[in-house]
Amino acid sequence: MASLTNGLFPILKGLLFAFIGFLVGSIIAIAITSVTNFPLTEPLITLGYLFALIGWLMGVGMWKVWGKEWFGLNSVPHDNSGGWKRYFRFCTDHKVVGIQYLVILLVVFFLAGALSMLMRLELTDGKQNLFNLTDYNTLMSLHGIMMIAVVVAIFMGGFANYVVPLMIGARDVAFPRVNALSFWVVPPVAVLLLLTPLFGGFDTGWTAYPPLASKNATGGLLFVLAFLTFGVSSILGGLNFLATIIKLRAPGMTWGRVPIFVWGVLGASVIALIATQWVAFALLMIILERTAGMRFFSPVDGVGGNALLFEHVFWFYSHPAVYIMALPGFGFILESISTFSKKPVFAYSWVVKAIFGIVFLGFIVWAHHMFTSGMQLWLHAPFMFLTELISIPTGIIFLAGLTTMWKGKISLKTPFLFSTAVLFNFTIGGLTGIYLADVATDLYLQDTYFVVAHFHYTMVGGVVFAFFGAFYYWFPKITGKMYNEGLGKLHALLLLITFNLTFMTMFWPGLQGMNRRVAVYPDTFSDINGWVTIFAILLGLSFLPFILNIIISLWKGTKAPNNPWGGKTLEWETTSPPSIENFDVIPTVQSSPYIYDDESVKHAIFNKNKA
Amino acid sequence: MLNKDFLITLFLWIIFTLIGEIGLFSVQDHIFPIQGSEEAIFIDDAFFLLTVLSVPIFTLVCVMLGYSFMNFRASKNKIASQSADKQSVKQILYWKWGWLIVSTVLCLSVLVHPGFTGINELFAHEDKTPDLTVSVTGQQWAWSYQYIDTDNLDDSVTIRGSKETVVLPNNSLIRFHITAPENDVLHSFWIPAFRTKIDVIPGMYTALNINTNRIGNYDEDVNYRVQCAELCGMGHSMMSNKVSVVSKEEFEKWLSQKKK
Repeated sequence: MASLTNGLFPILKGLLFAFIGFLVGSIIAIAITSVTNFPLTEPLITLGYLFALIGWLMGVGMWKVWGKEWFGLNSVPHDNSGGWKRYFRFCTDHKVVGIQYLVILLVVFFLAGALSMLMRLELTDGKQNLFNLTDYNTLMSLHGIMMIAVVVAIFMGGFANYVVPLMIGARDVAFPRVNALSFWVVPPVAVLLLLTPLFGGFDTGWTAYPPLASKNATGGLLFVLAFLTFGVSSILGGLNFLATIIKLRAPGMTWGRVPIFVWGVLGASVIALIATQWVAFALLMIILERTAGMRFFSPVDGVGGNALLFEHVFWFYSHPAVYIMALPGFGFILESISTFSKKPVFAYSWVVKAIFGIVFLGFIVWAHHMFTSGMQLWLHAPFMFLTELISIPTGIIFLAGLTTMWKGKISLKTPFLFSTAVLFNFTIGGLTGIYLADVATDLYLQDTYFVVAHFHYTMVGGVVFAFFGAFYYWFPKITGKMYNEGLGKLHALLLLITFNLTFMTMFWPGLQGMNRRVAVYPDTFSDINGWVTIFAILLGLSFLPFILNIIISLWKGTKAPNNPWGGKTLEWETTSPPSIENFDVIPTVQSSPYIYDDESVKHAIFNKNKA
Repeated sequence: MLNKDFLITLFLWIIFTLIGEIGLFSVQDHIFPIQGSEEAIFIDDAFFLLTVLSVPIFTLVCVMLGYSFMNFRASKNKIASQSADKQSVKQILYWKWGWLIVSTVLCLSVLVHPGFTGINELFAHEDKTPDLTVSVTGQQWAWSYQYIDTDNLDDSVTIRGSKETVVLPNNSLIRFHITAPENDVLHSFWIPAFRTKIDVIPGMYTALNINTNRIGNYDEDVNYRVQCAELCGMGHSMMSNKVSVVSKEEFEKWLSQKKK
């Protein structure tokens, strides 16, 4: 018991400091609003939250290992040992941070999945059944933003953190304390989002378009604060991986020898660092609209701006953001297809170019979300042109996936099944994307269920499938235990079938004229939606083997060898799980990580004498 | 390059593509909702063309995945494996460049049609004088419509609220002038039977041009409805009106009745 309270002490301290911070922020807010005569509630929540966030971070341990230095005091040196207690304090070990991310995001994933089940129950037929209209909007918006958070960070926060330093032969990331900071702002995001229903919910969807986002219930403010906080985490993460991958590669790891997953993370980091700042500004402007009465996006009384401005700035982040989600996933599937086919990644250098082609093009296609927005007509053609160009580099990545396994020695392990499922699903997601990039068809399909089906094919069919593939792939490395192969394959098969049934069916109501984000719809769409609901519930149930598998494997899984898959990248060269310092000796890289046909060539050697 | 695996895959790809295309063409008349405007016919044709082009790409991925799963498993492929890594440099080059060129050509051709041709076609009526102009105002959570009488603005007919039916003349170019009050939020004006939609922006005007081409109404098909298509808060899903397209004569009769 004493050990338990001892272990949770940083959390309790964080909560206490957050409370004190909230009081401080409230007092400042009261002082300001007493001068400006502006309504108190929202400034109080905003400033209270800001100081509570600082208090929380300091309480969980940032003050001890970092904050003291800012005031000329001596900080405590990093201590990354200590069993389970490490996970409940400001710990700078990249492996701890990775696991912290994975666990919290899996929890959020299952919560948001449960919300989607409630949505589907409401949508079983066209009438209003379980929820009133406002509650449905809140439900839908929460599902959206929580899942967005999961797919943005599950690779970048979870696996990139755990695996990238191992893959490049480093002892940690470049800025370990920034890394811990980027994780510890995430729990407040989850708390804020889960509190929104108590403050009237929010009914804007995750896109938060003003003027609605500036004038809805206070839940909307909580959502914007949460999104902004999450953006900060994403920016810090992107910065950290850029520095890590550029500066901390092991000796001999030239750019041509960097594993393809690391390239995917590098591409995503560029986007996370540059693009996220834009959405942060846009959200900050909404907060100022709400708390200080400024008018950036709504033209009330002839003063103020234009709602289209927000859409431009928002999509300038949110389109590239889908590549923050997708690129590490693409990197992973090529990595695992190579490992399980025992063949090098096909056209490696082209894939790298394709990744950066996507990064570049991703920044200049945002207005394809706005063909029906009322923006200037002459913008249609160039944005359609640029958007459809993305199909070319994406095609190269597909070519690499398909040809890497061609004539390989394939072993059908669970991660391989998930990776090939990504190729199948993302083909459908990509092809249906063309209908939305084409102006003519988009004018019809925009804001219908066709769009909903399309982005679930890319986000779930692409990123979530890749995530589960990665989960099984690195599970032995992270936990030191093998998972149950039979249950894993069952999970892959059930998920593939139920996912495709659900979202393939969903294209149909979209094409037939059913718009999205509605709780109530014309009765003609009831039958097909009834089917979607049944399939969606089966999709939810398909996660049971996964949960069972984790429990069984952690409880009595066999001990994992260092290299269960015969992979060549560096994370397989160390123990499972790796020691605190990752490697006894820093490896010296000698060749590409994908040479399978010549046993005499080693990717890296560990020269103990040098150390 | 012309080995057994390649030829079988090629054969399977052609077979599955043919099956897919034949299936697609046989359901061509059943996949689209009612086509209430010239624009609808163009957009549906574009949709169909894109689907026809998607089929071979989809079947290629499926056939390559399926064939690899069946034939390149480690347990079945012990002998062939040694040569796997030693694909000739030339062969890899063919594949890479072939794929790049084909995907680029495909991409550019759909850009021309239905891409640029679609933009030209669907926005061609911006400068023409419409047969009928309707001023539409979106508000949380109802539409109001003002049928503009170009001779005498005071004679314009206004209808309001979700109980009203929006009556429109057949075989006419109809221009909707759309806005929302400055203190309102975004909406989107959409009649699914006509396909195209345009957002409603507080304090700004947007326009939508429709060429009606058939008589029809909500009771015949629910896509004869005005539907808000941009989330606008609580009543978003209810922000709807029935639409009825009638002959020009009937429309004039209806309008003059409303004027009284």
